[in-house]
Amino acid sequence: MAEGTARDVRRERLRRWWRGRLATPVDAPLPQRRLFLIPTRFGLGWATLVVVLLLFGINYQNNLAYALAFWLFAIAVVALLRGWFNLLGVTPALHLPRDVFAGGEARLRVVVRARRPRTALELRVDGAEAWLEVADGVGEAELSLPTPTRGPFALPWLRLETRWPLGLVRVVAWVSHDAELLVWPRPLEEEAPSGRRRDADEAAGDFAGLRRFQPGDSPGQVAWKQWSRSGVLATKQFSAPPRRECWLDYDACHGTPERRLSLLCARVLTLHRAGERFGLRLPGLTLAQGEGDGQRRRALDALARFAPPTGEGAG
Amino acid sequence: MRSARPAAGPPGGRSSRRLEPALLRELFLGQCLVLALHLAWMPAWLAALALAVAGFRGWQWRRGLPRVGVVTRIAAVGGLVLALRWEYGTLGSMDGLIGLLLGVYLLKLLETEDRRDARVVVMIGLIATVVAFLHDQGVPMAIGALLALAWLLQSLVRLAGGRDPRQAWREAAWLLALSAPLMALLFVAFPRLGPLWSMPQLDRAATGLSDTIAPGDIAELSRSADRAFRARFEGPEPAPGERYWRVYTLSHFDGVRWSRASPEQLAATLERPVEAFAGVGTRTPWQAPGGTRFRAELLLEPDSRPWRPSLGAPLASGQPQRYLGDGTLEGLAALSSRALLRLESSGAAPAHPDPAGSRWHRLLPVEANPRTRALVERLWRDSGGDPDAYLRAMMARFGEAPYRYTLSPPRLGGSDRVDDFLFDTRAGYCSHYASAAAVMARMAGIPARVVAGFLGGERHPDGHYTVRDYDAHAWVEVWREGGWQRLDPTAVIAPERIDRGTQAVEAGGEAFLADARFSALRLRDVGWANRLRLGWERLEYRWQRGVIGYQRESRRSLLAQLTEGWRALWARLETWLPGRGVLATTLGLAALLLLAAGAALLVRLGVVRWRRRRDERRLVGALQAWLARRGWAAMPGESPAAHLRRIALEAGPAGRALNDCAHDLERLAYAPLEAPERAARRRRLSRRAAEVRRRLPRPRRGG
Repeated sequence: MAEGTARDVRRERLRRWWRGRLATPVDAPLPQRRLFLIPTRFGLGWATLVVVLLLFGINYQNNLAYALAFWLFAIAVVALLRGWFNLLGVTPALHLPRDVFAGGEARLRVVVRARRPRTALELRVDGAEAWLEVADGVGEAELSLPTPTRGPFALPWLRLETRWPLGLVRVVAWVSHDAELLVWPRPLEEEAPSGRRRDADEAAGDFAGLRRFQPGDSPGQVAWKQWSRSGVLATKQFSAPPRRECWLDYDACHGTPERRLSLLCARVLTLHRAGERFGLRLPGLTLAQGEGDGQRRRALDALARFAPPTGEGAG
Repeated sequence: MRSARPAAGPPGGRSSRRLEPALLRELFLGQCLVLALHLAWMPAWLAALALAVAGFRGWQWRRGLPRVGVVTRIAAVGGLVLALRWEYGTLGSMDGLIGLLLGVYLLKLLETEDRRDARVVVMIGLIATVVAFLHDQGVPMAIGALLALAWLLQSLVRLAGGRDPRQAWREAAWLLALSAPLMALLFVAFPRLGPLWSMPQLDRAATGLSDTIAPGDIAELSRSADRAFRARFEGPEPAPGERYWRVYTLSHFDGVRWSRASPEQLAATLERPVEAFAGVGTRTPWQAPGGTRFRAELLLEPDSRPWRPSLGAPLASGQPQRYLGDGTLEGLAALSSRALLRLESSGAAPAHPDPAGSRWHRLLPVEANPRTRALVERLWRDSGGDPDAYLRAMMARFGEAPYRYTLSPPRLGGSDRVDDFLFDTRAGYCSHYASAAAVMARMAGIPARVVAGFLGGERHPDGHYTVRDYDAHAWVEVWREGGWQRLDPTAVIAPERIDRGTQAVEAGGEAFLADARFSALRLRDVGWANRLRLGWERLEYRWQRGVIGYQRESRRSLLAQLTEGWRALWARLETWLPGRGVLATTLGLAALLLLAAGAALLVRLGVVRWRRRRDERRLVGALQAWLARRGWAAMPGESPAAHLRRIALEAGPAGRALNDCAHDLERLAYAPLEAPERAARRRRLSRRAAEVRRRLPRPRRGG
């Protein structure tokens, strides 16, 4: 076992070193030493063609055949350089999607910046591919990656490549990043709502006054009328807590751990949509009550990271 | 801020297997361009095949039909092979192989489904382009091939992901332009090797002179304007009456036609080794190389026979040739493409006896032409048995009797043709007269032979001569003591033929150039057209001589010139730079390089400074200074933007521009902008500043 871990450590170290040798970190311009030129099959065919034409010129003493052979060779050299310049100095940036649920897909946005216009860049991540052009200094592409399971999603490196201008050679660059994508559980609506909810039109607590709006306040409590008059965003304050406290409890749900998490996920979403306050209790983790976007994100992240306690089989 | 639009996939992206019709159309047009190079030599039905394949693909695309099955493809290839066999009789000939290549190139479009297939099509197209150079290497062919190459390149760019044609064309143009210098360098510097192994050759039709002359042959040639060869002289050029290009000697007469006896035939007939009649080398083994008069550089047209023309007897050549005993020349092989030959020649008939001997040159069919024989005996008696006087009398007789020179003489039949010609028809052209003169000389016991070759040639303004088929000519050589003598009966009958060529002979107007109906030569009398033709021919000649004829020797001389130039430059540097020796010169060069680098640095600094002058702070600073001069100075501690805004309140018509200036300045200073937007805002700022200067009301008093 110890041997195994030692080997793992060594392998990890090797991988890290290799990664450093091979890839460019995201948000940095691609340097010369990280662009790799790989001839395509067509490029090898082109080389053969040049040799054949040269032999043709020699055997028939035909100067135009010589000229064509040399021209094709020179064109290949220039195309190689132009392809290399097409990728040199490109700065890729990665934008992770906000909400990713299991069973759906993650839509990665990759924005590529460069001073010169670039043509026909090909972007590949994990089997998904997209094409982009850089015009006016910026180009962007969207990649859809399927996310079947809940939990941290190890996003592989990006691969930027181009076969421009003739397809004789592939210029490849790998882009490393340390972004982690957290996939939330798939929301599962339950048939009978277990959490008792108040009617929406029941009066809230007594109105106590306004305070300045802070990001994260529930949109249901923003004084929209005042905003429309004065243009100042304010939040209504109530003397009493406006709602009954609502706790989402893992142990109160039934089914396999994954099903429970899905149920909890769906309820977090509905509570957030209704603008309610809620808290979350998972085995070994309690999330204090709160509301708004921050609370929703914290709760869903907790659900995504939750590792079901061992010994609890399929219940 | 401008929002970036996500790029769509490439045309018919790699994920989608099928090519879109636009790309198929590209490929088809490329095929048409490559076929156009072969148009003059390929069977016409290949064009129909191209159209059929393209039409089928279009129909298939519109109907959404599946791809062509294996059976159809095999049937198409089989049909192609059968058609080629029917056309050429065999597939083994070079023509058949080229036809097969073109046919496969066209049929490949049937099964072109994805990018890989499309690239294969382009590759075959490049091979077909190079094969077209076997037929011809002229300027039009080179231009056509360049067009085809550009088209194929831009198809490849489209295949690699270029989306609109304009972008693809621009990229292809860049590729061609940037690679041209490297191509030229390789073309000049690459060593020219001999053929590594023998390849199948195209069968060239034998045109022009043949090695037998029956009356009627040379008249055929006068109907054609094809180029026979071109020549350029180093040193003296021959006068019009000296341009007798010897090609063959015809020494065997059977009563109807004169024909050539090749060294092999002579060796077999006279039972002597072939070496007695021909020798290979760069110098003639027959004659002392003293009497060189003309040094010519010949640009020969491809022909199936290895004949080489020479002005008089050939003496020495640049490459090894086969020198024949009769004072003519042969190449070691037939020419499949144009070639250069440097030749020194005597300008006169050979001075050495023919190894075949004088008996061979006195043979005649017995019992033929009795009237001529009687005439010869009478002339021989009149001249008192002196051969020279006899020959003079014979030539004078051609001049005085009612003999006519015409290119369309009445036909001769029967067995005594010389009789019929001399006493009945009395009209003919060079071969009739040469034949009759040679027969009359032989009847008098004087060794004689007919020489077939060319007389004349058109001199270009830039000094090279073009000799065409209609310049073909026949004359006589007779053996007198110590050498052969040229006799040209035509010079007596039609002297204008000697000075001005065949076209000068009025009687031949009907037949002259009859087969070259659309030749530019028919417009000789139209001034501008003739100038145009001469210009084109000069260009063509330079192209053929400089580019197509760039072989081992010319490469060596060019490189020698270049090294010579380099040496001269180096010597000049050494005299110009102080100090002596290589070290000092190198140091001097290093100093020069340093100076150049310093100059480049200064230029760069200037550019940076100029850029900085477009910097927004400088712009606004200049504007503020200008405002201060007009009494709108800034208060102490006031930021530029605040200053402009304060003035804007009282500046009337310039107020908006001032506010815009302030706004843009702040954006440029504090907002994280993309480079393009930054540039746009800078431009706007400078425009607005100019507007402020235009619109600001008159300056206030005081300040």
